Amino acid sequence: MSGLSLNNVTKRYGSLVAVDAATFEAGEGRILGLLGPNGAGKTSTIRMITDILRPDEGEIRLDGKAVGAWSRERMGYLPEERGLYKKLRVGDQLRYLAALKGMDRAEASRGIRYWLERLDLSAWESRKANELSKGMQQKVQFIATILPRPRLVILDEPFSGLDPINSELLREIIAELRTSGTIVLFASHRMEQVEQICDDICLIAKGRIVLNGSLREIKRSFGRDMLNLEFDGDAAFLEALEKRGRIRITDQGPQRYSVRLLEGTRPREILNLMLRHARDVYCYELVEPSLNEIFVRTVS
Amino acid sequence: MKKVPVIVLSEFLRRVRSKWFILSTLLGPLAILALIGTSIFVSVRSVDSVTFRTIAVIDETGVLFDRLAAGNQEALALVPGDSVDDARARVVDGEWDGYLVLPSDVLTGQARAAYYSVEGAGFSLEDMLRDRIQAAVRAHRIEEEDVPPEVQEIFSGRVGLDPVRLSAEGEAEGSSFAYMGLGYFMGFLIYIAMMVYGSMVMYGVIEEKSNRVVEIIVSSVRPFELLMGKVLGIGAVGVVQMVAWGLLLIGGVAAAGIAAGMFVDPAALDLASAADGQEVLESLGVSLPTIEVSLIVWFVLYFLLGYLLYAGLFAAVGAMVEQQQEAQGWLLPIMVPIILSIMFMAPVLGNPQSPLAVATSLIPFTSPVLMVVRMAVIEVPLWQFSLSFGLLVAGFLGAIWISSRIYRVGILKYGKKPSIRELIRWFVAG
Repeated sequence: MSGLSLNNVTKRYGSLVAVDAATFEAGEGRILGLLGPNGAGKTSTIRMITDILRPDEGEIRLDGKAVGAWSRERMGYLPEERGLYKKLRVGDQLRYLAALKGMDRAEASRGIRYWLERLDLSAWESRKANELSKGMQQKVQFIATILPRPRLVILDEPFSGLDPINSELLREIIAELRTSGTIVLFASHRMEQVEQICDDICLIAKGRIVLNGSLREIKRSFGRDMLNLEFDGDAAFLEALEKRGRIRITDQGPQRYSVRLLEGTRPREILNLMLRHARDVYCYELVEPSLNEIFVRTVS
Repeated sequence: MKKVPVIVLSEFLRRVRSKWFILSTLLGPLAILALIGTSIFVSVRSVDSVTFRTIAVIDETGVLFDRLAAGNQEALALVPGDSVDDARARVVDGEWDGYLVLPSDVLTGQARAAYYSVEGAGFSLEDMLRDRIQAAVRAHRIEEEDVPPEVQEIFSGRVGLDPVRLSAEGEAEGSSFAYMGLGYFMGFLIYIAMMVYGSMVMYGVIEEKSNRVVEIIVSSVRPFELLMGKVLGIGAVGVVQMVAWGLLLIGGVAAAGIAAGMFVDPAALDLASAADGQEVLESLGVSLPTIEVSLIVWFVLYFLLGYLLYAGLFAAVGAMVEQQQEAQGWLLPIMVPIILSIMFMAPVLGNPQSPLAVATSLIPFTSPVLMVVRMAVIEVPLWQFSLSFGLLVAGFLGAIWISSRIYRVGILKYGKKPSIRELIRWFVAG
């Protein structure tokens, strides 16, 4: 049995149930998005997977074997709250973290050279961490996570603080990890990122898993009940419909609206109204709800 | 536990390569000498010295003043006083510190001298005045009675006392002053190990926690391995630094010997011209105490265990806070016994068999400093010694057990400061 599996995993802190009977799987060569509002139990779940915390009940297996000291060397974890030793040179830092994962020295040095080159940090190898910009430090932390070629990579908000160019570079590398058969766990509350990257999602709220499965199937199960509209003109007709409970405006920008159809309101109806009120129509699109919308509907 | 050596090495190298380490290694010996020197100076002077005083003497005998004033004027200036009323007024005004009334019958032993002052005399001054008056009266009467010079000589004769330590191996040369110096020296080294390297462990823990690097580390190794690696790595820094200081000090003493050899002609001291530096020093009156090997071994053991005991406690405090400033309150219970160790050093050295000395050298929190201090000056009974060492080992194991549990939970906790109740919960959860 390959992949990561959690079975009825529960963690309590006193009377607070942080994770309540969590059951889900993450397959190899796939990216699982772990989503949830702050305090939902994401960090506790990840800490149990990485064997930092022990579950009170249930079991966690990696490739069929219960996690423990052995699996620590097979996992790379980039926590949301992360940092480096300020006074340590980038190269020494990476060598130390690799040695803690049991990586061979020569292999680590080769890997470090490759990744620093790839992420455009070669010139910084012998600089101290506190001389680097925040984005550069993020990239160093990312290298430390994937350097020992882990079987399971856990990335908690890996893009926060990165500019678009570096974000793209990271996304490219994450895609390569998937292709090479790595199990990737991607924790975030940035829905559009999850939607772009993940194959599967697991939505946690108040310690419980409320939604779990293939992203495509989940979206399909919600059906096409969302309209994306873009037009030039008076939008009062939308507000009137919303007041009568026929639709709900879920998002809006300049001349742009996302609308959820309620109580059997037909898409056609909205199109007719829009044609009547708008001077120009730029977009009319019937779609499945966005992950953000799914998240809001499921959690509330 | 196979990752511990990796952590030890990294913690060690990171610190040994720092500017701080190089500077403190080079300047440390100077600071140690200054500290020990000051502390010996203060403990010796605080007993003997008094502040400088001006005292008027109303001498009704008419013969004692000159003899009194001929004595040492270093701490005391004696001036003739006219009348009691005048002297009293001047003392109250603060012009003089006090006045001494010597009735004429004091010469025959029929009356007592009296010292008047606003602030009281104090033991040291009282002793000094009594000694002087007694000496003056005695000298005057001997002279008056026409005593033969042989008898006068009997009265002025002085006897010296040379302290020599006995042990199973034989006599150990050297004055107790040298052994006290040795005791101070070793006590200070252990104090520094507990204080400086112990708090270095704490700062290391706080740094990892506030850097947020700790969560990455504990996803690779167990918190206990990280704690052990850090404590041992910094301990190694301490040992290396102490050895370096030792070599520098020995080098310094040797250099002093050579210098003495260059400026002092051995022939003048009735030594062979080939006499080495140490012999020259000894003949000049600077005797180095003989140090037994067992003392060094126990010093090293107490040094290491004392450090380990406190390093564990400091680490626990580090795990409780996010910033160094927050640590102050929690540090108090750790600092008090360390500071008490230093405060008790002088009384324990002064009376190494007293109940205070025995008790403080048994309690694990003060024994690393004070047992070694006692061992330097006396032969400590075997039972006290074994009990002290056993308690220290037990104390160390207990402290590291409690600390590692607090540490395990604490390093991943951010936000508000823990209360005592929460600490107990951490301990139970850990």
